[in-house]
Amino acid sequence: MDAHWPRPPAATRRTVLVLCAALLAAAGCTDPDRPAPAPKAGLRAFRYSMDQAPTSLDPTQAANVYANTVILNVYDTLYAYQYLARPYALKPNLAAGFPDVSADGLTYRIRLKPGVHFIDDPCFPGGRGREVVAEDFVYSLKRQFDPANQPQGAWFWSGRIAGLDEWKAAGANYDQPVEGLRALDRHTLEIRLTRPYPQLVDTLTSGYSAIVPREAAEFYGPRLGVRPVGSGPFRLVSYDTSRVVLDRNPGFRQEPVDLAAEGFNPATQAHTGVAAIAGRSPPFVDRLEIDFIPEASAAWTSFTKGDEIQFTALPVEQADRVLASREPVALLPEYADRFHFAAGSEAGFVFTSFNMDFPEFGYHPDPERQRRNRALRCAIIKAYDWKANNASWYFGLARVFPGIIVPASPEFDPTLDAGSVTRDVEGARRLLADHGWTAENLPVLTVGATAGVTSRLYFEQFRAWLGEIGYPPEKIVRKTYANFGNLSRAWKRSELPLVSKGWGLDYPDAENTLQLFYGPNSSPGSNDANYRNPAYDALYEQTSVMLPSPERTARYRQMNQMVIDDCVAITGLSRTRIYLWHRDVIAVPDREIVGGFWLKFVDLVPQAGAPGG
Amino acid sequence: MPIAQYALRKLLAGIPLVIGVTLVSFALMVYFGPDRTYELLGKNPTEEQIAEVRSQLGYDRPFAERYAGFLREVVTFDFGYAATGEPVATLLARTVPVSLLLILPGFVLGHLVSLGLALLAAYWRGRVADRLIMALATVGMSVSFVIVMIGFQIVFGSSDWLGWFPVRGWSTDSVGEYLRYIAVPTLATMFVAIGYDTRFYRALVAEEMTRDHVRTARAYGIPEARIFTRNILKNCLIPVITRVMFSIPSVAVGGSLLIESYFGIPGVGRATYEAIITGDQPVLKAVVTLTAILFVLVVILNDILYRVVDPRVSLE
Amino acid sequence: MNATALPLPAPRRDSLGARAVRQFRRDRTGMVALAVVLGYLAAAAGVWFGWWATDWGALTGTKWEPASAAHWFGTNIIGQDIFARAIYSTSVAFEVGLVVALAATALGAALGAAAGYFAGSWLDEVLLWFMGVLEAIPFYLFVAAVAFALQDSPWAMQVGMIATFWIGTARLVRGEVMKLRGIEYVEAARAIGLPSPVIIARHVLPNTTHILLVQASIAFVGAIKTEVILSFLGIGIRDGVSWGLMIEESTKEVLAGFYNNFLAASLLMFGLVMAFNTFADALQDALDPRKVG
Repeated sequence: MDAHWPRPPAATRRTVLVLCAALLAAAGCTDPDRPAPAPKAGLRAFRYSMDQAPTSLDPTQAANVYANTVILNVYDTLYAYQYLARPYALKPNLAAGFPDVSADGLTYRIRLKPGVHFIDDPCFPGGRGREVVAEDFVYSLKRQFDPANQPQGAWFWSGRIAGLDEWKAAGANYDQPVEGLRALDRHTLEIRLTRPYPQLVDTLTSGYSAIVPREAAEFYGPRLGVRPVGSGPFRLVSYDTSRVVLDRNPGFRQEPVDLAAEGFNPATQAHTGVAAIAGRSPPFVDRLEIDFIPEASAAWTSFTKGDEIQFTALPVEQADRVLASREPVALLPEYADRFHFAAGSEAGFVFTSFNMDFPEFGYHPDPERQRRNRALRCAIIKAYDWKANNASWYFGLARVFPGIIVPASPEFDPTLDAGSVTRDVEGARRLLADHGWTAENLPVLTVGATAGVTSRLYFEQFRAWLGEIGYPPEKIVRKTYANFGNLSRAWKRSELPLVSKGWGLDYPDAENTLQLFYGPNSSPGSNDANYRNPAYDALYEQTSVMLPSPERTARYRQMNQMVIDDCVAITGLSRTRIYLWHRDVIAVPDREIVGGFWLKFVDLVPQAGAPGG
Repeated sequence: MPIAQYALRKLLAGIPLVIGVTLVSFALMVYFGPDRTYELLGKNPTEEQIAEVRSQLGYDRPFAERYAGFLREVVTFDFGYAATGEPVATLLARTVPVSLLLILPGFVLGHLVSLGLALLAAYWRGRVADRLIMALATVGMSVSFVIVMIGFQIVFGSSDWLGWFPVRGWSTDSVGEYLRYIAVPTLATMFVAIGYDTRFYRALVAEEMTRDHVRTARAYGIPEARIFTRNILKNCLIPVITRVMFSIPSVAVGGSLLIESYFGIPGVGRATYEAIITGDQPVLKAVVTLTAILFVLVVILNDILYRVVDPRVSLE
Repeated sequence: MNATALPLPAPRRDSLGARAVRQFRRDRTGMVALAVVLGYLAAAAGVWFGWWATDWGALTGTKWEPASAAHWFGTNIIGQDIFARAIYSTSVAFEVGLVVALAATALGAALGAAAGYFAGSWLDEVLLWFMGVLEAIPFYLFVAAVAFALQDSPWAMQVGMIATFWIGTARLVRGEVMKLRGIEYVEAARAIGLPSPVIIARHVLPNTTHILLVQASIAFVGAIKTEVILSFLGIGIRDGVSWGLMIEESTKEVLAGFYNNFLAASLLMFGLVMAFNTFADALQDALDPRKVG
């Protein structure tokens, strides 16, 4: 990397040595910094799987569910979501309780549980993990604002916590205090906001807010990304692009499970055997192995084998061979005998927005053309066949809904008119004809995509659907990008008229998806549609400081309707995933919101004479 | 010329090659390679953050300055840290042995089996066995490696079929585990390699068999087996060595890319491929340099081996 | 590099072309292989002329229909006709194979001839250095890098292959030209003051035709096989459909018991590659009188 990192002094010499070893040694090289995974007899291990590897285990890079799944198990957060409550509900984690909030909603006081220790690690004096204190949280949040870390989490708190952006502008010196982020004593934290931020506690469940000791960050430098030092339920054994291995943190604080406090619902969850963990302190397994398997088919083969991974998502191709019925979801007996399953709707959605900055489709100086453009967008939306999309890719089980407030948000309105997600070929043709659109004057529609078969088939489906409303196929062009980064760059630079995205909720609040169409978030921000509607923006600004209330919900829904009426996006669908796990695993798996927060509760059914792995 | 002096001279002659490789690779993989900025931006970036990340990654600096920085890294052998934060040297020390352990059994066995088949075919030149072996070799050559890989994984790994070996993954916890995990990839590599290698070796052996000294030996009534080992095999050695040696750099670094990706094996091929996809510059720089150096070493070693095999070859 | 990489001195060829054709026509296996290849070519030509497989992208059926009169190889997951896609892919394979084979061979011939004719000069040194450099970069990494460097161009894959496939040809041509350089009529041409490019084009290169034909056939097959691997890795064909893309599509399906995509693409590909390999062998036998049977 061209960046200049601080590094331990012996690094250069060691680099040469190790590189020589790599050149010459055929085998037997071990990293001196990393304890070798020692196989133990009778080890109780849970083998989980994900379809992608995290790029880094540094909390500053906790940008997705893959990174969070590992980070939340090696680090601690102040708050967390209850293991079993759906809809999601918060609970204190490292915090002793919920924060004391001042009357104006601007000052938060949070007490930390005393006596919690980081794992033992050479970065601490004497190698012994010291106590986690309020100052550690202050330090960890500052790291999200230090450009040297290339942090991704700053947008959660930027412009919200008093003095944090100024701290960054002044050179990100960790010894300088931040006005709105202070440790009052060893176990008390004070956060002062510039304006009310109802989602603040939610952000404190994410991997971005995970607590890193300063000793570790300074001792390891960039290597913190492969060498996490936290106070979470597990500690890292090994990590590469194929798998991560975590061992139980023997010093993890004793917190017996209170099923009621975790939101246990016996009616829907008793069959998983999860009641067995009541009263015992997690983590329950000695080892947590997470295999990163991008090919769903390979994961499936490994899963059904019996002695390999114990958890997988059902590949959509296997549905006919595995499911006895879809509504309700049921497995065929030969699978039901061996596996537990759950059909989970994602907390998020997939949608395609028009880039309103393209005069061919969006805003246009000529009001007449702008009106015709709206008709064109509405016609394309009518041509879209959500039902076929659902049947091809999501077992026909995904939830198609109008607008941008997803079913997993508490503010979701199930009674909303489904007209914007119902296919209407005739209506679309009429709309085009009424507004003077013909095969000759329809503009070329470029669809950006990454390589890969699924995205290609998506495109071919889309093109065929539009063909049926009279859009000439040669005017629907696919532009392939070498990787997601390049496609993302094209979107962020506003170079494509259509942006197809999946968005996972960061917290269960519709604000998280409504901000996707907020004018000031235009490219390169998250408003890829570059939708700029003053009425919408005003409502967004009003609601962003409101606590949950029926009034706020009403305004949320008003904004939702604006996006639908303006035909800004083809939206939306919450994907359904069907998870399966072995019968000897006691768990209620979930990969939504932040992901991975439930792994410490996983237990294995004791089996006579059978090894745990 | 003494071997050491020769090697040193060759080593110096290898410098332009290393410079060329680093220049081409730098231009392709690093300078024009994928932009990692947008992977590092979080969900709601501002122009200011984009500029910050670009500057952190060094994208805003001119080509010459960045290439000079790379050469400095080549000379000091210090490539810094991968995107994960792992020192590149550690990453290589972790992944290169895996790739070697993965590929060597198939590589060695593949060449031995091919050579054996080629000898048999050449020995029975023109007869049914020869035609059969050659036809099979052509079949092996015509099947895509991807197809073999998919097919073998299903047949040997899936519990619907034989289910003898793991579907994917990697373990060196014990020799038994190691053998179980390399079985399917090794079989797949061998299947494809044998097609090419058998044809190559048979052509070689067949040509040697028509040489004058072989005919002479035969005329003198020297036993056929002895002619085979003394005259034919020995003369085949040089091309065999060349073929084996020159596949080493790609085997050690790039050759196992497909297998490593498909079977989820944490080797250097996969690490490099992922680095290309994500634009992880330090890893790319290190791998490219390593390959170039290996290539130069192989060329030298190859020439030296020639002389060991055939003292008439002079090291000039 | 080393002496063994160069071919041994070849005897004079007088009526090489005519003799090769005669020899080839006697080779029954070779003729059958040629017929098969021509059959594939006809299938591809039909696609180019728009006679068939025009609806390879249309949704003509439902998900995973089995083979039937309407869909000879069934349909894929979104209801496209697999037979039409497989036939369309044949034309893509020929496009890739022909473009790469012609360009790589032409480049190899030109640069190899230049290096050989001026052997020992700075030009030769530079070309040899350049070949060495390209050879020292692992192939798939190189092609992947080209694919990324060309910023999402649809020709990235072909460029990557051409940039590496020419080297083998160039080395062989260089060796041959170094020998031809000393032949009387070339020396005569030089003596009467013909410019070097003319000598190379008129008197030297035509004598390397046997090498070029064989190398082009190797490149053709190599390109088709490489396409499958690169498309599988996601750095191959950008637009349309190809055997590699069909095989990638099938990796998920085969474990669900749906083999149509996999079989259609891999059998068609195997047939063409096998036939072409056999044809290339026969061609090599016919062109190389030295070759030992």
